[in-house]
This record gives sequence, C-alpha cells and structure tokens, in this order.
Amino acid sequence: MKQFMMIFIGADYADLGLSQEEVQNRMEKWFAWGNKMEKAGILRGGEALNPQIRRIAGKDRVVTDLTSAEVKEIVGGYYTVEAKDFDEVQEIAKDFPDYDLEGTVEIREIMTFNE
Amino acid sequence: METKLIDHLFRHHSGKMISVLTRIFGLSNLEIIEDAVQDTFIKASISWRKKQPENPEAWLTKAAKNRVLDIFRKLKTEQKYLPELKKGIQAIALQELFLDSEIEDAQLRMIFTACHPKLEVRDQITFALKTISGFSTKEIASALLAKEETIKKRLLRARKTIKTKNLAFEIPQGKELPKRIERVLEILYLIFNEGFHSNKKDILVQKELCGEAIRLCKMLLKNKHTKNNDCYALFALMCFHSARLDAKINTENELLDLKTQDRNKWSFPLIQLGNAMMNKAVETSDFSRYHYEAAIVAEHIKAPNFEQTNWSKILQWYKHLYAIQPFPSLLLNMAVVCLQNNNFVKANYYFNQINPDDLAQRAYLFYGAKAECFAKMNHKKEALEFINIALDKVTNQLEKDFLEKKKLSMFN
Repeated sequence: MKQFMMIFIGADYADLGLSQEEVQNRMEKWFAWGNKMEKAGILRGGEALNPQIRRIAGKDRVVTDLTSAEVKEIVGGYYTVEAKDFDEVQEIAKDFPDYDLEGTVEIREIMTFNE
Repeated sequence: METKLIDHLFRHHSGKMISVLTRIFGLSNLEIIEDAVQDTFIKASISWRKKQPENPEAWLTKAAKNRVLDIFRKLKTEQKYLPELKKGIQAIALQELFLDSEIEDAQLRMIFTACHPKLEVRDQITFALKTISGFSTKEIASALLAKEETIKKRLLRARKTIKTKNLAFEIPQGKELPKRIERVLEILYLIFNEGFHSNKKDILVQKELCGEAIRLCKMLLKNKHTKNNDCYALFALMCFHSARLDAKINTENELLDLKTQDRNKWSFPLIQLGNAMMNKAVETSDFSRYHYEAAIVAEHIKAPNFEQTNWSKILQWYKHLYAIQPFPSLLLNMAVVCLQNNNFVKANYYFNQINPDDLAQRAYLFYGAKAECFAKMNHKKEALEFINIALDKVTNQLEKDFLEKKKLSMFN
C-alpha cells in the first residue's frame, strides 16, 4: 500500500460569499466524506489551513502578505490516505464536495525511501 | 444489547463527547452540548434495540460528530456565541478533534475545568460526576447522599460560575499547573472516598465511584505534563484500597473489618500495580498525604494476617501524615492503632485530644473505638455505655449491624 496526499485547491468560501446555510451543507458533505474514509480505514491524516498567506519569493527574498481574496486559488487543506494507486485515490476523490465551486483536487504520492 | 452494558457505554462515552464538543463550541454552550449528547444517547438506545452496531464506540463518536452541525444550527437560532465555522474544509480540522489522543486532551481540559479553584468543592465533585463521568443527577444524588434538588442546584451554580468567571477550557500551564493538579487530585481523592467509605444505606461499596476516580487519575498519569509524584502516590493508594474492595463485605452483605477479611480475596494484580506506582511515586523525597496514606495501606497489605501487622510502623506513618495534615480523624486512627498493641495509655493520649463533634457523621467511630478500649481493659460498664452511643449515632445499616455484632462479642 502507498500513501497519497489529496491537496485541495480553490477559492475561499468567505470570498465566494456563500451563505451560512450553504457552508453548513458543505460542511456536512465534508464530514460525510471524512467519516466514509475513516470507516474504510484508509484515512491517515489531514489538516485544514487558514487563509492568510505570507509569501517569500526570489533571490531577494521579497516578502508579501496576501489574503485569499488576492489569490484566485489557494490551498485550503489536505488529506493523506492509503491506497493502491492513483486510480484508487481518484475514486476516493470523487466525493470531494467543492467541484461545483471550481475546486481542484491534486493527487500526489508521498515519497518514501526504502532502506 | 443488554441495558446495563448500554448504560455503561453511554456513561463512559458521554464524558468524551461532551468534552470534545465543548472544545469546539466553548464552555458557554455547555448546556446545549449536554442536551445534544443526551439526545444522541436516546436515539442510540432506540435504534440499538432493533439492531446493535458492530462497533458501538465508533457509532457514538460518529453520532457526536454529526451533532456538531445540529448544535451549530441550534446556536444560530438562539443567537448565542458562535464559533467561526466559515469553511467546509474546517471539517478536516474538526475531524482531527475526534482522534483518540485529542479526545483525551479534551477530557483533561474538562477535568481541570471541573476542579477549577473558583468552584466550590461540593459543586466540583457534582459537576465532575455529571460532565466527565456521565452520571445522572439521580445517581449523583444517591451516591453523595443528597437530594436530587440539591444536586441540580449545585450543577446550576457550577455552570453559572464557569460562565460568569469566564473560565478557560484548557490544561493550565507553567507555574499555575502544579497547584491546579493538586486541586484535581484532591477532588479525585474525595470522589474515591465517597465510593470507598460510602455513607449510603445498604450498598456499602459504590464501585462505580471508585472506578471513576481511578480512571481519571490514570488519565492524568498518561499525560506527560500532568503526571507527578503525588499523582502516582494517589493512584497507588487507590489501587491498594481497591484491592480490598471485594473482601470488605461477606456473602451475607455484612461489613468485615481488617481482622476478619479473607486476605485471599484481596486482588493481587491491583496490589502489584499499586506497588509499581508507589515505586514511581517515591522517586523524589517530597512526600504528600497520598504517599503516607498509601504507605499505611501497604503496611496492612504486607501483613500475612491481622496479628502480624506491624502496628508501630503504621503509627509512625500516621505521625508523618498528621504532621502535614492535622485532622481529628487521624488522631482517632492513631488511638485505634495503639489499641491493637494494647497500649491503652497511648491510646487514651490520642482519644483525649479528640472532640467527637469534629468528626461529624463519623463520630460513631470514636464511640465505637472508646468502647473497644474499655472492653479490652475489662471495664464492661463503660464499654456498654459507649457502644450504645455509637449505635445511636450510626446511620449506615451495614455499619450498624457491624457494631451490633461487636457489642455481642464484647459480652460473650
């Protein structure tokens, strides 16, 4: 079994102006998804990220503080799961609740060194 | 599933759920949280009657998780303080709070809240039993020998204090921590004693209370910040006491003293565990009352039979204990220890320092011990006089029967 990371990229809900009701409905879907993975015994971890960004870039190490409103796409969080291959994770990622908000799931395999 | 088993599971799970949900929604919403958890249990007990889930613990955790949103809606309609739930992705972070390690963290926070020095001791015990241990108000009332109304009032007062004093839901840190742990240990010790020396009529030993105190103490020991020597000593003390729980009452539900207890009934694994804990507790030479009390019980346990008990060693431990905690009940114990060695002069030296009124509802023990002293000295008239006062003062039926038996034996 390999470990994969599903990275969630998209706009911040607050910036999209979703109503509280909608946020709750989505949260319910996130919960259901998390529970489903947990029940299947494949969930290994995950974190949600706050939307503030401090970016340090270039050889001059230019520092910029950004808010999610200033970036179209922001990494909102990730889950790590255990799966056989990319296809299996793709199947898992079908339940990601925010495709309709133009959200993206990026699947990456976690690198391990043997010996 | 058996009703008893469901009750047990609910009780243990209720504290966990309430703690985790309080971490999310804050102490100010405690009442709503408790109601929500109660609802979950009612729903569970109905649906489990039809079909029992494969993993009931996981079922309940999932149910609690799903309640997060219900509570959120409820809070919204009541316009109370709302935690910021703005993103669906926060579900990932919330999910993490339901991991076992995080649940333990939340429970520790709840223990420190319950034992917060701003609350009164009686309220602390009541609040802890309700919120952490999942006892019903009725059960608490009968365990603490109080009216259900009183218990409800205490809970109300505790919740109100938590709100008005704005107590934080946290494990204290830094300089504050040792003092706060001391208070927690005190409360756990009281809960254990309520179980072990129960005043409740007919049911002498309320194992549930003892079990809870041990469980919570264990939780402190599992956390590297909250464990300390006193905590180990208290745990050892509770192990040693618990080892004798089953031997305290015979098959006729009669109370047995150390002399008549079947020592083969003492639980060896618990004694071993207590010894192991005691070894950890004495790693530094800073001893608390729990150290000395555990040492006293250990001395009793070491003796192969009552006659071979090392009474002078026990008296020594009592002196140490009395030096740091001068309680009148200790004087009484010291007097009784002297009686075992037939040292009547010394026994009376201790008896004379006691004002029985200071012993409150345990005053009967003083009169019982005095009676025994006179009986041993062959002063039958005085012995009879004192045993009658003891019988007049005692409330617990088992203790009463015990004294009656003693009275008979004195005059045969």
